[in-house]
Amino acid sequence: MSDILIAVLRSGTPLIYVALAGMLAQRAGVWHLGLEGLMIAGACAAAVGVEQTGSVAAGLALAVLVCVLGSTLLWFVVEKLRANPIIAGLGLTGLGLGGADLTVQSIYGSEASVTAGAGLPRLGDAFGAFGVLSVLVAAMPVVVLLLWVLLRRTRFGLRLAACGEHPFAARSVGVAPSRMRLIALMGGGVLCALGGAELALGTLQLFSNNMTAGRGFMAFAAVIFGGGHPIGSALAALFFSIVEAAGIKAQLVFGEKAPRDLLLALPYLATVIGVWISGRLRGGLKAAASGGELRDN
Amino acid sequence: MQGEEAALACVDVSVRFGAVAALSGVSLAFAPGRIHAVVGQNGAGKTTFARVCAGMVRPTAGELRIGAQPVPVGKVNAARAAGVELVHQSFALPPSFTIAESMEFGATGSGGIFTRRALEARWTGHLKSLGVDTNLRTRIRDLPVETRQAVEIARALVTDAKILILDEPTAVLSPAGVATLFERLRLLSRRGVTIILILHKIREVLDIAETISVLRGGRLIEAAIPVAAIDAARLATAIIGTPSGSIEAADQAALVGGGGGAAPVETARVSAAAPAGPPVFEMAGVDTRPDGEGRALEGASLTIRRGEIVGVAGVEGNGQHTLVRALAGLAGLDRGSICLGGTDVTAHALAQRRAAGLRIIPFDRNSEGLSLTSALWENWSARRLLLGRLLSPIAPSRLRNACHASLKEWDVRFADTGQPAGSLSGGNAQKVILAREIDADASLVIAAQPTRGLDIGATAFVWQALRASRDRGCGVLLISSDLDELFDIADRVVVMLSGRIAAEFSAPYNLAAVGAAMTGAPQ
Repeated sequence: MSDILIAVLRSGTPLIYVALAGMLAQRAGVWHLGLEGLMIAGACAAAVGVEQTGSVAAGLALAVLVCVLGSTLLWFVVEKLRANPIIAGLGLTGLGLGGADLTVQSIYGSEASVTAGAGLPRLGDAFGAFGVLSVLVAAMPVVVLLLWVLLRRTRFGLRLAACGEHPFAARSVGVAPSRMRLIALMGGGVLCALGGAELALGTLQLFSNNMTAGRGFMAFAAVIFGGGHPIGSALAALFFSIVEAAGIKAQLVFGEKAPRDLLLALPYLATVIGVWISGRLRGGLKAAASGGELRDN
Repeated sequence: MQGEEAALACVDVSVRFGAVAALSGVSLAFAPGRIHAVVGQNGAGKTTFARVCAGMVRPTAGELRIGAQPVPVGKVNAARAAGVELVHQSFALPPSFTIAESMEFGATGSGGIFTRRALEARWTGHLKSLGVDTNLRTRIRDLPVETRQAVEIARALVTDAKILILDEPTAVLSPAGVATLFERLRLLSRRGVTIILILHKIREVLDIAETISVLRGGRLIEAAIPVAAIDAARLATAIIGTPSGSIEAADQAALVGGGGGAAPVETARVSAAAPAGPPVFEMAGVDTRPDGEGRALEGASLTIRRGEIVGVAGVEGNGQHTLVRALAGLAGLDRGSICLGGTDVTAHALAQRRAAGLRIIPFDRNSEGLSLTSALWENWSARRLLLGRLLSPIAPSRLRNACHASLKEWDVRFADTGQPAGSLSGGNAQKVILAREIDADASLVIAAQPTRGLDIGATAFVWQALRASRDRGCGVLLISSDLDELFDIADRVVVMLSGRIAAEFSAPYNLAAVGAAMTGAPQ
């Protein structure tokens, strides 16, 4: 039992951090499709940072720096250059994927992966079987809770939500939606860095090209599934990892009888169904979907 | 304003949006603790003026003083800190917020972490003192429009505002709602709040204001004159400018809401044809399926005869939108039938109904009425193209020529039939829709808020077009939230309440009776 739980937490934690980043952006009124790019940039920067300096802290710092810069770039393109956020986000994803490849190639030649010398600190033997998990896994529930308090129980959270739902309302009490979006995207950058670092350094201590494998998009789906709510988005991301873990388990059990590709597709299938269900349940993200700048008059 | 410090003063304020001058050199001072009105027709610059005062629009020139202090312009926070708050016409609270969250959202000062209960405890007293007794967990989107406005006002007063500006607060209210609002404003005024009302109805202005300022075409025509020094006729002239010969006197009165209790209805203005033509439209006991796009109809019945204009009054959100969608075949019917020209069209799609003579001037001309990015000729010819067969060929040059002739006939000001519809002003855009929708084959014209946001000339034009349709023998259904408009041009007025036709009135109309029917008050 505990091995399944460990597997779920391992694959779920990076996804949850990135989903929280997408949720922050969504609440501020930006459809964040650059999550995939930021996640891989964070993973790559963390691994390269550790490999180059030997310090995990330096690797984390580099990942945060890269992801916050990437988020700021997205904000600049969307808010200042008035680009379509969907296209700009996809562009950021392309930039992240390509940039990570380029970085690895230019530093390590033709190799497609970077082996970091060290990983994130583990929880240790005090936690028994769970001791193999990284500290970022343990920090994840705390981060979710803190974000919930920040977004649902403070005035800042109300104002951020107003920027996404009804920017004109925000402006009429003197809140600048553009600035709030910058804050939300930069905060999301930090979260993406944590997600990427956990992916690369949490278990494997390795970065390989395309290692995010669409997790950023799945995180975005979790935002929609979770109705743009901090806890909802985290639970949705967790649900996807459970399905993924179940898929791996199913491969081991049914690998001979069922087509492997179908089992691999399970999490993505669950994503589609999940988003469809969330649309049925209490209108899902209807409020967020119909808001945007349309009302800003 | 000598001898008395103005609560708020604008000095030589000008605002330009691109090539358009929204305000030109407006200097205006408001005495503290009074109720002031700023009036003018659509496009006169009233809303821009209000937004300049509240810091939402940065003027291209001029300055703003609150008390004796100059205030940085174009900064909402500066204006709020100085005690100026604005209640918007279109309302500005996120629909998903609860009432308590809406208050906290606008509050200033230290906030910290709250619980739901603490938030409610914090704001209950404030809301009670302003007459809002609704459960504080109710979401904004679930509130009736009167309560919603009261919550907006309460939101504006969370900071102990000294100056409260309300932009067209009466536009969405029933007559009873207007009376309640005015009571509330008088109460605030007694508490020492300076109130600036943006209005366009003379009757309401004379009812509540202590001073009146008039804007016309972005210029100040009258500056804060005491209400005793002006009468309805002079005010009407100030608002409209030189009376245009093409606008009849009764229309003029309706345009500025200058009439008394009931607008005068002359016999000559009622249908020239025999009033009781055969029914062109019959709707019997219609229930629509609830679909989250507005209040469903519940047992709505209505008959419209040839050669009459039937007005639909009602507080917004009582099923008016669904009525139009049901007529167009866009809302699912659970029960009831709809007949057009004697044929049952209940099961017919919109295209078939249009072929039978149904024409619709929709609520929102910018999203439902026109494709703003498409060319004028494409918009204009959409009607006949949609009626044609799927693969029937289109001859653009012929359509362009026909469109050109038709738009000229309807007096649309345009440069080229290829220009996008979005490049036209509101009045001209509405004329394009009229040119498309009103033709010789029309038998029933639905006009949903056809004059909303139009200036006086364009409004009178739309009214003439509807009257002409009626005189040709069409049935006309006019849905409007402006009772003066309905009283002026409708031969009969029905009131919608809670998804049904609740009452019917004929000329001469009694404002109080219609108002009571709109709120469901016992008569």
